[in-house]
Amino acid sequence: MNEKELLKGNIAIAKAALNCGCKCYFGYPITPQTEIGEFLSGEMQKRKLAYVCAESEIAAINMALGAASTGAKVMTSSSSCAVSLMQEAISYASSDELPIVIVNVMRAGPGQGYIFPSQGDYNQATIGGGNGDYKTIVLSPSSVQECVDLTYKAFYLAQKYRTPVILLADGMLGQMAEPASITENPYPEIDNSSWILDGAKSRPAREIHSLEPSQNKLNRHIIELYKKYTTIEQNECDWEEYNCDDIEVLITAFGTMARHAKALCNHYRKKGIKMGLFRPKTLYPFPYKRLNELSQKVNVVIDIEMNMGQMLKDVRLAVLSNAKVSFIGKPTGDMLREEEMVDASKNVLKEYYANI
Amino acid sequence: MIRNFIISGAGGQGVLSIGTILTNIFMLNGKFVSFSPCYGAEMRGGAVNCEINASDEELFCIQNKEVDFVVALNQTSFDKFISKVKKNGTIIVNSSLAKINKTRDDIKYIFAPLTQEALNLGNIKVANSIALGILSKITDNFSIENVKKAYEKILKDKKELIQKNIEAYFIGYNYIQER
Repeated sequence: MNEKELLKGNIAIAKAALNCGCKCYFGYPITPQTEIGEFLSGEMQKRKLAYVCAESEIAAINMALGAASTGAKVMTSSSSCAVSLMQEAISYASSDELPIVIVNVMRAGPGQGYIFPSQGDYNQATIGGGNGDYKTIVLSPSSVQECVDLTYKAFYLAQKYRTPVILLADGMLGQMAEPASITENPYPEIDNSSWILDGAKSRPAREIHSLEPSQNKLNRHIIELYKKYTTIEQNECDWEEYNCDDIEVLITAFGTMARHAKALCNHYRKKGIKMGLFRPKTLYPFPYKRLNELSQKVNVVIDIEMNMGQMLKDVRLAVLSNAKVSFIGKPTGDMLREEEMVDASKNVLKEYYANI
Repeated sequence: MIRNFIISGAGGQGVLSIGTILTNIFMLNGKFVSFSPCYGAEMRGGAVNCEINASDEELFCIQNKEVDFVVALNQTSFDKFISKVKKNGTIIVNSSLAKINKTRDDIKYIFAPLTQEALNLGNIKVANSIALGILSKITDNFSIENVKKAYEKILKDKKELIQKNIEAYFIGYNYIQER
């Protein structure tokens, strides 16, 4: 079980979902995440689980809502422009407090864009594209192994907090392959018997809906939701620090881009510049506090993303006036190469280092 | 040490297949390795390529500006990827489908009639394995056990093809020393 095998990111997500008890998958094919549905279509049939290739992404996520209300572990997956179609249902699921896992293997936008990798949905995922006061947990894997680990975590957090969780990967990670192991799911099962709709035999009837005509009740509901979000913010921030013990310059990056950012850190370390990387693994809740602490040690923070600067505003909110914040990014296509990042960062660093 | 490879050719030539086999061989040899395919609305005959990075230490970059080794299985990929070879790097070109033409003098060329050699062996589809054999000879001299294991894994549903591919691999492997 724990032996390493060569796995694509998409397949790793699908295998991990099955391994932690996903009972229902609803989806519609779209590059670059189609392998998730393709793999599950065979495997779920073999295991007599529910796989539905829906007629659209809107149908898929609403099926997921229905299945989740019965207590089944459910997942849907899609990519950028089609995740846009799911925003209304994510808002509903947040209000209904339904645990669903939504995988977004990002491609280029805006609009239809194309199938190139991108990190352009940071804002959509972390802020949310649906209506009303709600927040969605967002997990950001950086390697195929993390596609496994964070899929487990996504299911766990969804059940634990009764809330939708987005696993935000990108086309590069979905399509690339590297050695990884399908480890055991480390998280405990959550008892959901107090709220699921399972037939009301020998118990009073229950309802799950977001409609609430009483303004007092609706206010109370939203305030309760926000108490939950506060708990999530206090307990669930997760991040990685790479060579941050003695930093002079701090890089921030998430997902696949953070891998290349590590190469940039090593490049400058060899030149005597103490550069480290801060990588949030949870994009919501964003680890503001830790980033703030780290930024107090440096003059400059360089944020690197495969978009035009979306996490940048969260980095600024964390860093405040502790350090200058610069940005290196490009919207889509091939990932920024080490050489391109070196060139772009020279302009920022020459202010602090004469011989760069 | 980090080494990187681009394997390129036309859809149907087995570019991604030998890319995956090469990645598996590195994994079996205990290396850190990544495989990233170009992907998209590809079809038989369209351009396909993949990049493989292998390292003794943890690997960060999965896409590079230039690579140590390029395999070009046809003319289009030869033209497209010759500029991606590092200085003093090597390009292996299928001279059955690409003209022998040395436009750069700072890289090494290996021209081999892969398609013709594959036809001589009785199966045009194994030209890719001949290229893999050449690559093995000039890089890590992979152990044959691991090469066989990788083929057995990738071709587990087409077992009848394993033997032919390994024959082709050895034709490539022995190609360099013969010339």
